[in-house]
Formats: sequence, C-alpha cells, structure tokens
Amino acid sequence: MSTPLIRNERFVQIAAPLVVGVLVLLLWQVSVMAFDVPKYLVPSPVDIVQSLVNDFSSLFNALLMTLKVTFLAFVIAVVLGVAASLLFVQSKWIEVSLFPYAVLLQVTPVVAIAPLIIIWVNDTTWALTICAVIVAIFPIISNTTLGLRSVDPNLLSMFRMYRTSRWQELVRLRIPGALPYFFGGLRISSGLALIGAVVAEFVAGTGGSKAGLAYMILQSGYNLQIPKMFAALILITLTGILLFAAMVWMSDRALRNWHESALKVEH
Amino acid sequence: MTANKVTPLKAAPEPQPEIEASVSEGAAPRPILQVEGVNKVYSNGTVALKGAGLAVKQGEFVSLLGPSGCGKSTLLRIMAGLGEVTTGTVKWWEQDYDVVGGKGRKLAFVFQNATLMPWARVRKNVRLPLDLEHKGGSADAEKKVDDALEMVGLKGFDESFPRELSGGMQMRASIARAMVTEPNLLLMDEPFGALDEMTRNKLNDDVLKLRKENGWTIVFVTHSVYEAVYLSSRVVVMAARPGRIVDDIKIDEPYPRSPDFRMSTEFAGYCRQVSQALERASAMGENKEESH
Repeated sequence: MSTPLIRNERFVQIAAPLVVGVLVLLLWQVSVMAFDVPKYLVPSPVDIVQSLVNDFSSLFNALLMTLKVTFLAFVIAVVLGVAASLLFVQSKWIEVSLFPYAVLLQVTPVVAIAPLIIIWVNDTTWALTICAVIVAIFPIISNTTLGLRSVDPNLLSMFRMYRTSRWQELVRLRIPGALPYFFGGLRISSGLALIGAVVAEFVAGTGGSKAGLAYMILQSGYNLQIPKMFAALILITLTGILLFAAMVWMSDRALRNWHESALKVEH
Repeated sequence: MTANKVTPLKAAPEPQPEIEASVSEGAAPRPILQVEGVNKVYSNGTVALKGAGLAVKQGEFVSLLGPSGCGKSTLLRIMAGLGEVTTGTVKWWEQDYDVVGGKGRKLAFVFQNATLMPWARVRKNVRLPLDLEHKGGSADAEKKVDDALEMVGLKGFDESFPRELSGGMQMRASIARAMVTEPNLLLMDEPFGALDEMTRNKLNDDVLKLRKENGWTIVFVTHSVYEAVYLSSRVVVMAARPGRIVDDIKIDEPYPRSPDFRMSTEFAGYCRQVSQALERASAMGENKEESH
C-alpha cells in the first residue's frame, strides 16, 4: 500500500473498518474450524453465506414482507408525525393538551401492546404496521415540533412587522427552519420503524405467506437451523444500515447548501 | 398594570407625502414619529422605560446612546410596533398608530445581526419584504432587488447563500433587504456592533451615502460614541434603571460627512460632549458597575 493512499482520509475511513471486519471473520472461521464447533451452536461465516444462497427464496420473501411493513410504517409515521407537529405549533393549547399522549405512545413498550393490536386488527400486515408506527412516530413529532418552534426571534419579529399570515409564517419561515430537525427525526425513526416491524413480527408470530424475517429467525431457532438464523439477522442489519444511509443522503442533499450539519468544512 | 395601549388607527391613513426634503435641511420638517410619555413595565416588574418622549423629524438621523439596560432597543422596538407600551402613545405622521406595516407607514428594521434566512439565497432574502407584501415576483420587484444589491455593493452575490458571505457583507444584504421596501423611516438596532472597526467605518460611510440617495430618516441604536457622532444629526442619551432619556445633543455638522470629519477638532469636541453626557447618564443608573 503506497503512503499517499494511507494519508487519504476517505480511504482510511472505508478501509480501516473493512480490515477489522475481514480479520474478525477470518478469526471466526478459523476458530470454528480449529475447535470443531458444531454448526447448530456457532455456524462459520462460510456456513452463513451458504445458507444465504441455499435459502435465498424463502429469506428474500421474508425480507420483502419485513420491508413492506417497515416502509409502510415509516411513511405513515412521517405523515402523521409531521401533521401532529404542524397542529402542535398552531397553538400552545393544542400542544399542551395532546403532547402527553404522544409521550404515552413513546414510553409504552410495543411488545406490551402488540398482542392487543393483533387481536383488534384482523389484517396481519396492518396490525404489524400499526405497531411499527407506534414505535417510529415519536422522534418525528418531537424533532419536527422542536424545529418548527426554533425560529430566529428577529426573523419572526420581521415577519410580524409585515403582518404576515400564519400560513406565510409557516411556509416561509418555520418549515424551512425546521428541516434540519425533521431530518434528524427521520434518521432515528427509520431505524425504529424496522425495529418496530421486527418486534411486532416476533409477537405476532406470523407464518405462512406473511412470514417476515423475525418469523424466519424464530422458526430457524426451533429447527436448530442456526446458519439460516444468522442469515436472517444479517439481512435485518443490512436493511437498517441501508435505511440509515438513505436518510443521511437525503438530509445531506436537502441541507448541503446552508446547514452546518451538511457543510463540508475546509481547514 | 394599566393597559393604555397604543390605540388602533381608526381611519385609513392619509397618503403621506414623499420625502422631498433633502437630508437635514428644509424648514420645520414634520415629525414622522412621536413617542410621548411612554412607560414600559415588564410582567416581572422591571421598569424598562419611564416617561420616554422623542420626536423624530423627517430627514433626521437620530442615534440612541446609553449604557446597557437603558432601554434603547426596547424603545426602538416600540417605535417599530414590535413591543406594546404599558402607558403612553406612539404617533406616526401625528396620528395614532397600532402596528407598522400598514399603508403609509413604510418602516424597515435592521437588527443587531444580519437576520438572514440561512436556507435562502441573497436575492430571496433581499426580496423577502416584497414577497411578504405579495409584491414579489414582478419585474418591478426584481429591479428593486437588483438596485438595492447594487447600492450596497453586493452585485454579483445575489445567488450566494448567506454563509458564503463575510459578516460585513451579510449586514449589507440586511440593509439591502430594508431598502427594497423604500422605507421612510429606517430603524437600526446596533447593526454594526459585531463587526471589526474597518468594516464598521466603511459601512458607516455607506449608510450616510445611502441615506443621502434615498432620503431616509434613521433612528440608530449604538454603544459607540464615535459612531453616534459621526453619523447623527442628533444624539439622544439614555440612562438606565429605569430607562429614560436624559440628554439630546445636536450634532451641528453639515452632510455629507467624509472620513476627514473623524479627524477634525469639531468631531473631537462633539465626542467629548457626548462622552460627558454618557458619563452623567451612567452615574444616574443605580447599578454603576454594569454601565459602559
């Protein structure tokens, strides 16, 4: 490896964790082989990859199901969360009256209410989606409300000097100013939507055509198909990482011209 | 607390005359703004202003000078209709008025910091008052923006974001934004306080030039004796606790003023006079250690 490449910050940022990952996988593979650990206890990385390939169709279908619930829940959480924030910011009374209930949603463990929702809602997909929405919505409400309220008081004074309508104040001042907070909420919420979907699947234990990755993990556990369990786990993790990366990309695209969080500072 | 607020305007304001008077000259110019017996008491009992009275005549450049906490900014915000008075009246063209922004009260405010929208390009920031009055988007509006940007020396920066500009340039953009409304009264709240002295002096000259070209009447809050003397036709000195007006010094030096004025003995004389008034004002405040 030539010296200039080592000094390249971007290269190091990618290469360093990659090297660590490869080393850990190698150590894992070698240890499993050396100590002859049975597959049903700790599968080797090669076993996991084999399972990923062999069980691809069932794993892929499960992934699609989990993704469907995650995306549905995420979109609903964003729409409802933003709507709630816009409502809260209209009047302190509305916020004071309703915000405690938003907190209630946040503090109630979804595992505790999922069985109830599953009983109440016939359609499994919707039942799972509602659970995931409950988990994912709070950061959107909380962050966006904070953003809509965090307006430069002098700019607000200026708007008031011109006797602008609430609508103008909202569209021209509050919403653009709230974007960084909103995107912060999106990053947290996207991960939570996935967690909510997986947790709800565990509780619902849905099998058959509506089996998601969580059900795959449960079922593989019962059948001692540990490599398949790991494969499902990897798919969940990858989905989470991709979702997060997508949110970061979107936020950077939207804020790159003006917000400190997305600026590239040259030293 | 008595709630003798500024009474709302009953009739539509008469079309007020354009400013034809050249700056500071002309016989007995009309007062644009009159503040009479204004008291301001905050809900925690702090008396921010006691019996403040001030008339700003057309074409004047009035500086409000005083120690911290003397209510300069409060008084300026009341003039802008941004704060309610506890008792007293504020009149515009000798009529009562409620809030600024209505017809006949073309008022612009320049804040302590540039107060630009960081997400909007300079052009959009400067056009904001026109957009808020639903006048944006027209060719006339765009021309006003172009003219204002050219006058403050920001031509070619209209597509920049505020963060790409220096502090002085941001302040220029803020002044351009005030200009597009063609105000007949410009209120400036320590606009150059955060800038270095070179930039500040340059912007002082620019304000004088723009004032001459546009016929502005200006009320200017500052901490700096030199700035107040250099710019103003009148320096109003305030004292703290409670905030009140204690002195009103005329700077009888003709405009246009050039940087040479800063070096003159007259300038030094005025500065001494204003400094002494400020010393007396500071001594009047109960809590001396906070005075400047």
